[in-house]
Amino acid sequence: MIPAAFDYVRAHSAQEAISLLSEYGDEAKLLAGGHSLLPMMKLRLAVPTVLIDIGRVDDLSYVRDQGDHLAIGALTKHGFLETNALLNSECPILAHVASKVGDPQVRHRGTIGGSLAHSDSASDLPAAVLALGGTIVAQGPNGVREISSTDFFTGYFESSLAEDEMLTEIRVPKSPGANWNYQKFNRRAQDWAIVGVAAVRVGNSTNVSLVNMGSTPIRAEAVEAALKAGVNAEEAALHAADDTEPPTDLNASPEYRAHLARVLTKRALQASGL
Amino acid sequence: MAVIEENPGYKWVGTRPIRPDGLEKITGKAQFGADSILPGMLYGSVVRSPHAHARILSIDMSVAKSMPGVKAVITSADFPDLALNGGSAGDIDMSNNVMARAKVLYEGHVVAAVAANTREQAKAAADAVIVNYEVLPHVLTVDEAMADNAPLLHDGMYTKGIDPKPEKPSNVASRVVHERGDLDKGFAEADLVIEREYTTKPVHQGYIEPHAAVADANSDGRAHIWCSSQGHFQMRAHTATVLGVSPGTIKVTAAEIGGGFGGKTVVYLEPLAVRLSQRAGRPVKLVMDRDEVFRASGPTSGTRIKVKMGVTNEGQLTAADVWMGYEAGAFSGSPVGAAGMTVIACYDIPNFFVEGFDVVVNKPRVAAYRAPGAPMAAFAVETVMDELARGINIDPIDLRLQNAVVEGTQASYGPKFPRIGFVETLEAIKNHPQYTAELGPNQGRGVAAGFWFNAGMNSSATVHINENGTATVVVGSPDIGGSRQSMALMAAEELGISYENIKPVVADTETVGFNDVTGGSRVTLATGAAVVDACRVITADLRARAAKTWDVEIDDVEWVDGQAQHVDGSQPPLSLADLAGKSGRTGGPISATASLNARGVGAAFSTQLCDVEVDPETGITRVIRYVSAQDAGRAISPAYVEGQMQGGVAQGIGWALNEEYIHNSSGVMENASFLDYRIPVASDLPMIDTVIVEVPNPAHPYGVRGVGEVGIVPPMAAVANAISDAAGVRMKDLPMSPVKLLEALNEKGK
Repeated sequence: MIPAAFDYVRAHSAQEAISLLSEYGDEAKLLAGGHSLLPMMKLRLAVPTVLIDIGRVDDLSYVRDQGDHLAIGALTKHGFLETNALLNSECPILAHVASKVGDPQVRHRGTIGGSLAHSDSASDLPAAVLALGGTIVAQGPNGVREISSTDFFTGYFESSLAEDEMLTEIRVPKSPGANWNYQKFNRRAQDWAIVGVAAVRVGNSTNVSLVNMGSTPIRAEAVEAALKAGVNAEEAALHAADDTEPPTDLNASPEYRAHLARVLTKRALQASGL
Repeated sequence: MAVIEENPGYKWVGTRPIRPDGLEKITGKAQFGADSILPGMLYGSVVRSPHAHARILSIDMSVAKSMPGVKAVITSADFPDLALNGGSAGDIDMSNNVMARAKVLYEGHVVAAVAANTREQAKAAADAVIVNYEVLPHVLTVDEAMADNAPLLHDGMYTKGIDPKPEKPSNVASRVVHERGDLDKGFAEADLVIEREYTTKPVHQGYIEPHAAVADANSDGRAHIWCSSQGHFQMRAHTATVLGVSPGTIKVTAAEIGGGFGGKTVVYLEPLAVRLSQRAGRPVKLVMDRDEVFRASGPTSGTRIKVKMGVTNEGQLTAADVWMGYEAGAFSGSPVGAAGMTVIACYDIPNFFVEGFDVVVNKPRVAAYRAPGAPMAAFAVETVMDELARGINIDPIDLRLQNAVVEGTQASYGPKFPRIGFVETLEAIKNHPQYTAELGPNQGRGVAAGFWFNAGMNSSATVHINENGTATVVVGSPDIGGSRQSMALMAAEELGISYENIKPVVADTETVGFNDVTGGSRVTLATGAAVVDACRVITADLRARAAKTWDVEIDDVEWVDGQAQHVDGSQPPLSLADLAGKSGRTGGPISATASLNARGVGAAFSTQLCDVEVDPETGITRVIRYVSAQDAGRAISPAYVEGQMQGGVAQGIGWALNEEYIHNSSGVMENASFLDYRIPVASDLPMIDTVIVEVPNPAHPYGVRGVGEVGIVPPMAAVANAISDAAGVRMKDLPMSPVKLLEALNEKGK
């Protein structure tokens, strides 16, 4: 439970962090809240040789109204999202999902940007942003680019961020009147989801995303297509595990995960008024 | 609280004052096992086997020895081979568990240890020790270990308790039997017979504080150990045995203890720390991490249990036939003996045959865990009881009431019960509003009962009266569940002074008389009795001093409300402070010591009521309401009694639904962390309602029985019975995980 040796540098701005990333290359990792990275380092599943601490970059913690969407600073903590009035009224599912992450200590330190950049398919917030059709803003030495959440998660703990890029902002469409639901199944409170399902219904369109049903958070495209074709929630949910490759671990077999995905999708859709 | 016998006007016993250790613990000042730091101290690290079963061919320490900062390296060659020195079988096993000799018997078994200037250097050196193994086939369960031609852990193990002695060695260390009456006749008289088979997995006590020890050895052969344990006298004795020295050469100071539940009655690190300290000439600290705690310190047994019981249509139990196989881990000593004695101890059954087997397997050696052996046995018998009650259409509490043991019943394990409170706990649950509260969809209700002997054993206590009339109560029982408060409350009652004026202290092995371990729910009873005895010597002394002062007979002086009073009121009373201030003129300092072997142990019973909600689609079970009724005898400190009751239930719910050791096919534990070994957190549990039943133990001055253990006996069966009520399926294998429940539901649906 002791991490491998590493060097530590503190960045005071996104700009500084990015130039440090350029300097140290793929040996470096950004440290935000540390609540995903540090446990992995202690288990030696992650062995960065340099940690660039962006925890004190203080201008990246916000939720801002940008007209048709909300902009959320990458270093905004889960606990802040949970209680933020603007988020609760304009995009309540994200505030709700933030409240389901870990325990109060984790939510007091963990950041939404850290959670997305970590790209753990078992985490709650990536799937929520995916279901919302959000956009991820990345800043690199050559400027800023926007990445659709559907393109962002590329593999097991891998995102489309370049080595010298830093995730700076998350943009989600406002959805004040939307029906939504998040189902999180775990055997013990505060654990990662064994399977989770986020559903967001705006008008006649419903987005469904799945937690821990593959190497990345994924959209349940077969469910979305079935709904578009007009079938009811119960029948659409039967497709929740279609074309997925759920992981096998101590918590569940792929078969049980597939079963959970169908059950939880049905519940999420029904709770969203379908 | 269900008070069966009124409190006879106690002023302090039964109150809820601030706990004596509270401030130090909440401010972080309390010194736990790993908190001791000595000048020049080194850090140790332990080399553990990656194999479940292997012969040690060679250990090459040369690289490790030459690494930076390394001051000492040790292997089994650094300890006396007790097998060559006439050691008892138990001592040899203990020594071989502390440090493997010739063979490693489980993954995590210690093969070497190092000490270095820093923790990092020690770890690096431990990693550099090269051990060559010849990997041997292993066995992990009772079934595997008892199979024909199973690989043997110990070539010389011939099952004890079988006549004639077996011709071949096996993995079965011993067989225990309890029997009465005529089994065939009993089953012939029954109208309903239920026969079921159960399995349970090893579960860990899950104390938050890992094992830790600091040792400082002197060049004269003496050593001082600071460690967290449930009995520093036992740590002294066991360390001395493993090192081959006299216990008197070792001093042990008890640290605060961050949980033990039975698991801290065993030496793991202490002998290693002393030997490393001797080799290095410097103090050495050894601390386990959580991974080591899981892999190498005692879980309790995994089991296979078969139960067959018969009942008449009128609700009379006629016979019980029980077969139990308990995993001991790598060395003999599973709690199957206690399991055999407790399994049907709640009931008066005329015909029974109980047979138990102590089976060694390639897993860490089991250690005591709250009511060792009883909870698994109760899981089996109490679910069969539920099936019997439903089968003959009788209320499950009524079936238990009809067959409950009472004062005078011959216990299934031998003696006649003195006054006990089992019936009272059953009635407390039956009368609880929860027993008849309405249930929602997919909800169910279950009841289960449990028994535990409790223990007495040896205790000593010394009470000093300070010069201002306050008191210091010195005991040698580590405070694991509130004993300092209980001791202070009883002393306050005896001396007639305020609880706040009493300082309870846990002293080291050289400062107080001998004490057995804090275990068996014995401390409030036995150490409490020693404190009461010492206080009574003091109050007799105080009366004598007052009589001397007044020049009257001692029989004319009473000790009332903390002062000496003349029976006819002819003298102005003398307070404890008055007498203490003048003690120099009446015979010197006021102090008394009592040492005793506690008699009159009071057995404990618990009856528990569990409501669950089952999700038939995911298979998950949530406990939504829970009530525990337990006979405390007398609750000296009711807040602590409730805490003990709730803690037992919390651990039992974890055992019922989630906790288990998961081993892969190589015998390597796969979930050695609190992330993957799921102890319930507060959010997983409902408020656990407690009903303290008080049927005083007539043999104790305050009626104490002991409350630490019986609370963990009923929960698994209570949860299983509630699941059956909710979902119509009988769960027979722990833990009752969502997948298992779904399978059972699918099977039922077919």
